[in-house]
Amino acid sequence: MKKQSVKGLLLAGAAVLVASESALAQDYGSFDGVTIEAKLIGGQQYEALYGRIADWEAATGGKVEIISKKSHFEIDKEIKSDMAAGTTNWCVGSNHSSFAPQYEGLYVDLNDHLSDEEIAGFVPGTIKASTVDGELLMLPRAQFDVSVLYYLKSNYTDAAKAAAFKQEYGYDLAVPETWEQVKDQAIFFADPPNFYGTQYAGKDEAIVGRFYEMLVAEGGQYLNDDKSPAFNSEAGQRALQWFVDLYEAKAVPAGTTSYVWDDLGQGFASGTVALNLDWPGWAGFFNDPASSKAAGNVGVAIQPMGSVTRTGWSGHHGFSVTSDCDNKEAAVSLVRFLTSEESQLAESAGGSLPTRSAVWEANVKAAEAGGDAYRAEALAAFAAGAEYAFAVPPIPEWGESVNIVFPELQAAIVGDKTVKEALDDAVEGVDELMQDAGYY
Amino acid sequence: MDRNLAHRNRRRALKVAHFLTLFVVMSIICIPGLWIVLNSFRPTVEIMAKPPVWTPSFTLEHYRAMFGGAGEGGVPVFSYFRNSLIVSVVSTAIAILIGMSGGYAFARYRFRGKAGWFVGLMLFRAVPGVALSLPLFIVFARLGIIDTHFGLILAYVAMNVPFTIWLTDGFFRQIPKELHEAAEIDGCTRWQAFWKVEFPVARSGIASAAIFAFLTSWNEFALASQLTRSVGSKTMPVGLLDFTAEFTINWGGMCALAVLMIVPALILTFIVQKHLIAGLTFGGVKG
Amino acid sequence: MFRRRLPEWFVLLLPAILVIAAVVLIPLLFSLYSSFTPYRLTRPSSLWRWVGTANYERILTDAKFWSAFGRTVLFLTIVLNLELVFGLGIALLVNKVTWGQRTLRTVLMFPMMFSPILVGFQFKFIFNDNVGLVNNVLQSTGISDAALPWLVDEKLAMFSIMFAEIWMSTSVFAILILAGLFAMPRDPLEAAKVDGCTAFQTFRHITLPFLMPFIFIAMTIRSLDVARAYDIVQIMTGGGPARRTELLWTLMARTGYVDARMGLANAMGYVSILLSIVFTVYFFRKLSAARAELGMGG
Repeated sequence: MKKQSVKGLLLAGAAVLVASESALAQDYGSFDGVTIEAKLIGGQQYEALYGRIADWEAATGGKVEIISKKSHFEIDKEIKSDMAAGTTNWCVGSNHSSFAPQYEGLYVDLNDHLSDEEIAGFVPGTIKASTVDGELLMLPRAQFDVSVLYYLKSNYTDAAKAAAFKQEYGYDLAVPETWEQVKDQAIFFADPPNFYGTQYAGKDEAIVGRFYEMLVAEGGQYLNDDKSPAFNSEAGQRALQWFVDLYEAKAVPAGTTSYVWDDLGQGFASGTVALNLDWPGWAGFFNDPASSKAAGNVGVAIQPMGSVTRTGWSGHHGFSVTSDCDNKEAAVSLVRFLTSEESQLAESAGGSLPTRSAVWEANVKAAEAGGDAYRAEALAAFAAGAEYAFAVPPIPEWGESVNIVFPELQAAIVGDKTVKEALDDAVEGVDELMQDAGYY
Repeated sequence: MDRNLAHRNRRRALKVAHFLTLFVVMSIICIPGLWIVLNSFRPTVEIMAKPPVWTPSFTLEHYRAMFGGAGEGGVPVFSYFRNSLIVSVVSTAIAILIGMSGGYAFARYRFRGKAGWFVGLMLFRAVPGVALSLPLFIVFARLGIIDTHFGLILAYVAMNVPFTIWLTDGFFRQIPKELHEAAEIDGCTRWQAFWKVEFPVARSGIASAAIFAFLTSWNEFALASQLTRSVGSKTMPVGLLDFTAEFTINWGGMCALAVLMIVPALILTFIVQKHLIAGLTFGGVKG
Repeated sequence: MFRRRLPEWFVLLLPAILVIAAVVLIPLLFSLYSSFTPYRLTRPSSLWRWVGTANYERILTDAKFWSAFGRTVLFLTIVLNLELVFGLGIALLVNKVTWGQRTLRTVLMFPMMFSPILVGFQFKFIFNDNVGLVNNVLQSTGISDAALPWLVDEKLAMFSIMFAEIWMSTSVFAILILAGLFAMPRDPLEAAKVDGCTAFQTFRHITLPFLMPFIFIAMTIRSLDVARAYDIVQIMTGGGPARRTELLWTLMARTGYVDARMGLANAMGYVSILLSIVFTVYFFRKLSAARAELGMGG
């Protein structure tokens, strides 16, 4: 490795001369003849970035071989299978902040390979969420996710509605600031089966994540400090009650417990949902006449408050380098490149959110200058919302606990159990899980 | 006279009823499928519209995007198609050869524990793909045949062999032993007798076994998603998931790829239709 | 003589045995072993810790497992029987058609062209309660103005996944039974007509017994690959909501891959394999009996 880096230095000089600044602002080293095997997340939202890999190859002389490209959950499954089979000698892998703690020992601590200034360029919260037990396991790419409130503007310009609302609830009808108000308004707007007040994801990690953020917003905790489950607290019951109330009032589609993100996005785009807490990936989709009936009528606001703070369950995608990689230097260089300022500028131009502070600023400025009021509004909402972002508990058992909790949440929502029963049962299951895992 | 008329009326009524029932049944079979085809030609905003749009407009946008570059919604359709074709055709061919040889053994030889062997082989087909996928992956990973056509072909051959043995076995039994005995007397070896006498007669049975094997391989997902990884080996069912991201799904695009999957299978089925019925008739039952 | 140590039948069977051993048997042995360990995908070393029958004890005393097990048996029973009835009906209808039958038969096989995973997505959208096709039709035609929660309501959700499964697989029955009808000798039918039997009597006493072997073949084939329903159910409901549509396969896949607890999942896998085997052997015996009755035994 030592030898290579000396050679690398020499060649780096040559490369700069030959390629005469191949449009890359930074130096990514030189890796002639090195082939990096990468497993990348596939899907249209993520592909645009991979087009830039050619630039890295041109600048460094290295080659990237994409040995796998799969969707979010499929790639997680594949990486776990790899760990089981011991076939982990590929170099760069797509990662996600919610998945990262599971892959114990698979990826290197990037703190050892990067300078502090370099890490300082990222939004501190995302670096924190990428760090497990002090090890920086991934570098965030421009795919940051936090949910804000999308709403149909027309509901707030109708004087008759405003008067009726004031009459009934005693305060002015405006874009909701708290989740209590969301509940009132959702029940007020709802006219099933033609129109719904709001909707929420109802299964898998999606519902647990939504419950988790509501729990935090109500001042509760998912786990105690000793890692025992704590979400059946008063705050937890208040959080879950919110979902149950909306379901009982038929303010959400009856199928909401079968929904995940795609159903929710399509639902709001059909123009039949008044208020929708949703991810940045949909911002463009919702306001595009080719895909959405709500286009032109979409407003974006910061996510509402619970009784204590705002919700803000967040996550982000990134890239990691495996411990078994033969040429970690080249792999780190590729990861640096894919998460660099230029790459993030390019990727976030597609509508996703960056994880570098400088790129945030540049994007907000560009949107303001560009005269695209909707994009500026959305970016401002996301920028404000990102301030409150928090990740899921960084334990390898998160995914497993989700599978215990979500059927119980569903049971409470559809009325099979009371809120208290459901949460107690879920806590019991998670408690057993954490004991099995040896935390206490 | 009167009775005759009543009789004729009844027959006519029955005919109409038959036609109507058939029409309704065929509609139920076709509509969910045609809905996919239709959606592949509709703009996204109409697919999920509410209130629904009943008079569809027509667009080739999903197809254009699918064949377009990465980042504009393009997926490597040609690679997926090629992989699917190679894997399905080769695995079907090998499964048929192995199945024929096994079926011949069951039909023409007497040996101890024959029924046990037969049921035993069948049962391996009963192992659910989800239960098999991980152990199979670990074994294949040790052998280094993950993400290759070879690995997937091997898996599909194993999956299809039991069924082809079954069908061909029944078919060979149908053929009188005297036929190949006569050929052997004429100086043919058993091997030659097989190809000259028995194989041509069993052709329909083999064709029907082949179409079932082909459709199984063409549509298989659980194993393929585990054993393939890159563009070089992913098959079309696995490719369908390219249209999903963490939070989004491109339903129109998925439909367009689905149409590309369905059409070749449909054409093939239509072509072998005649053999299919004949093959199933003799193969399965009379064994 | 020495060279012919292996009997010919064995040589002919050998390729089949080899390929099945390599692809199915070895992995099965591996998973059998791992079902006695606390194997976790993400901790490969856990494969070497023997815990005896702890996994089996755990699932056998787990109410969630048993309710999934019971639901799977119920699902299989209803689905296979309905597929049989519908398949029989369709085959009889198509058999009467004289013109354009080849096209009709191809159309009949249309659902077989659909990958199970595609069928899952398809019906997930068709049964969507807000923008799905079914509710749209019901509401537009004024049959119902409520948004029926197809994938949520306890009964409707089971109905929806069963509908998807039946839609995909009835063709197999129909086409096999149709083959049986084609092979049917004409004489007994005409004799029955001369004897003045009603259409129903003819069907009950002549057609149906003749079709029985075909029906059992279809049953056997279907019970061999019922687990394909996993792809459909996983995508449509994922076993939810609140475990209302949880089947053995969805429970197993979630335990194995998402929870990464492969040892436990493999123990469930063995139970589900046993279930498949019971179904298959049952139909196989029926098949042999039906064959023997018709004098086609062998």
